[in-house]
Amino acid sequence: MMLAMGESGLRKVYPVLESLAALIAGIIGGFIVSAVLGYDPFASISLILLSGFGNIEYLLSISVPLTLSALAFIVPLRAGLFNIGVEGQAYVGALAAVYVSSLTGFPLPIILAPLAGALIGFLIGVLRVYRGVNEVVSSIMLNWTLFYTVSFTISRYLRDPVIVHQSVRVDRMLSALEALLIALAITIAVHTILYRTTLGYYIRVMGSSPEALKYSGSSESRVTLTAMSLGGVLGGLAGALQVYTVSGFIDVTMSAVFGIGFMGIAAGLIGRATAVGALPASILISALIIGGHKLELVLGAPPELADVMIGVMMLALSAPYALRLLSSKVLG
Amino acid sequence: MELSFSIFIAISSLTFMTPILLASVGEIITEKSGVVNIGIEGILIASALAAALTAIVTGSLTLSLATAVLTGALIGFTHGAIAVYFRSDQIIAGLAVNIIAYGATVVSLASIWGAHGASPRLEVYTPALNVLGYKVPFISLASILIALIAWYALKKLRVGLALRACGEDPRAAEALGVNVNMARILATTIGGALAGLAGAFLAIEIVGQFTRGIAAGRGFIALANVAFSGWNPLLAIVGAYAFGFLEALSVYVQQHALEYAYIAKTIPYLGTLAIVALAGWKARMPRSLAKPYIKE
Repeated sequence: MMLAMGESGLRKVYPVLESLAALIAGIIGGFIVSAVLGYDPFASISLILLSGFGNIEYLLSISVPLTLSALAFIVPLRAGLFNIGVEGQAYVGALAAVYVSSLTGFPLPIILAPLAGALIGFLIGVLRVYRGVNEVVSSIMLNWTLFYTVSFTISRYLRDPVIVHQSVRVDRMLSALEALLIALAITIAVHTILYRTTLGYYIRVMGSSPEALKYSGSSESRVTLTAMSLGGVLGGLAGALQVYTVSGFIDVTMSAVFGIGFMGIAAGLIGRATAVGALPASILISALIIGGHKLELVLGAPPELADVMIGVMMLALSAPYALRLLSSKVLG
Repeated sequence: MELSFSIFIAISSLTFMTPILLASVGEIITEKSGVVNIGIEGILIASALAAALTAIVTGSLTLSLATAVLTGALIGFTHGAIAVYFRSDQIIAGLAVNIIAYGATVVSLASIWGAHGASPRLEVYTPALNVLGYKVPFISLASILIALIAWYALKKLRVGLALRACGEDPRAAEALGVNVNMARILATTIGGALAGLAGAFLAIEIVGQFTRGIAAGRGFIALANVAFSGWNPLLAIVGAYAFGFLEALSVYVQQHALEYAYIAKTIPYLGTLAIVALAGWKARMPRSLAKPYIKE
């Protein structure tokens, strides 16, 4: 079988094997942490792994905003840039969606929210290009700044008249099917941009060899600004879709959106930084997140056990060389 | 401006600066060796939990500090070993450490204290000087001393030269007889240990208990400070004091303008961003930073 596939076939399945190995590492990590902290590891881990798939419609509606978040991370990643600011971009996207929705109805909120995210992505790009500020540092500073700014704005200007810590609700919700169609359309768009346009070509060149970019007719500054803005567009859309398909509102502790950026990073990596991998990877991560909440209901263990598993999966994916080392030792 | 306000800010900035400075000096040592560890946020969180748990169980300050330092060193060692031997993408690995530390400590909060947000209050205190009625913890003074020692060792001692060689040109370092991989793991371990002390200080002196996600971005503020300082521990003292000042100011405004508490909370982050964006000089990072050393 292996021989028949040949060298190139093997290279194609390798990323999938690595993701599977990461999942196994995540399971082992979750197993150890739950056992050490006194929760039944078998029951905990099987709940996290399996219960997310019980309600497919709910699973899909959670997966769609996460897919957007994953895409927001991978577009700049392909240029060698770490868009850790998806979290903040999603906050402003969600806020913009709620605000525009309070003025006009669907679909304008979903169309305008990405612009808010784009501004944040562009700002991160500007700080890197013109002030030499590392994008990871500026992203995290902006994430926290936006967290509190959005909280402030909701509590002051967009407060629900009855439930004071919540914003007003958006005018309607999207069904899982509608959301899925949006996610598929955006996935195709991102894939097309990456592989069928000059912009995508420049992004990939910069990611593999910044030196070569100079000779290809573009500049690092221009690609950085465009890729980060595009990441911001997708991050803002992730926030808007989170409101329109999952929560319906945001609150002063940002709990409706919190974490979507970081889980998107995990999903982007598990999808091996490809547009087509983002949706399946997001479904897997979403299943774990839902499983975490089920765990809390059934065993009273905190849902963050799922975060630990996702973190261990990321750690495993940070070092694909480890698997190569392991397989060469085992296979000789 | 009132004198009491100025004194409060000037002195409490020293307390707020301490975790940032310790973590910054640790990260400078780590990065000088050629490894970048953005998991210091996670180390702060995990070691703060270790310190809180030990303080509550044993009531001993010494043990509490020791377990926090050990926790930090252990995570640093792991990150260094994965970076060196498994050639990890160090940014992704660091982010993963942050997520694991956040998740595992929240699960610990529930498992140990049955709590969602915070541990019980800690009853241990670090020894402190009394300056004009305000506390100045000895650890804050020690953190400045540690920065001075790190500067001297990196700049003047042979061991510092060897470490810098690992981060600049690992091949040349190897030719000098330095074990690059070992040096990198050791530097990351020391960096982790210092971040561990920072985490203990955060839980014991600044927050007074362990809270969910206690570091609140301080690990990244330390990373900003490393870039601001141009990898120079002396300038890191100045930077850390500025960041400590921002936090003291934020706390003051939160207490005196309740309506604008959310806005006041953005001060340390926006201020940090402004400082790193406006700093005039752009120091060069260690040339082989975050690049695995692969022997042929």
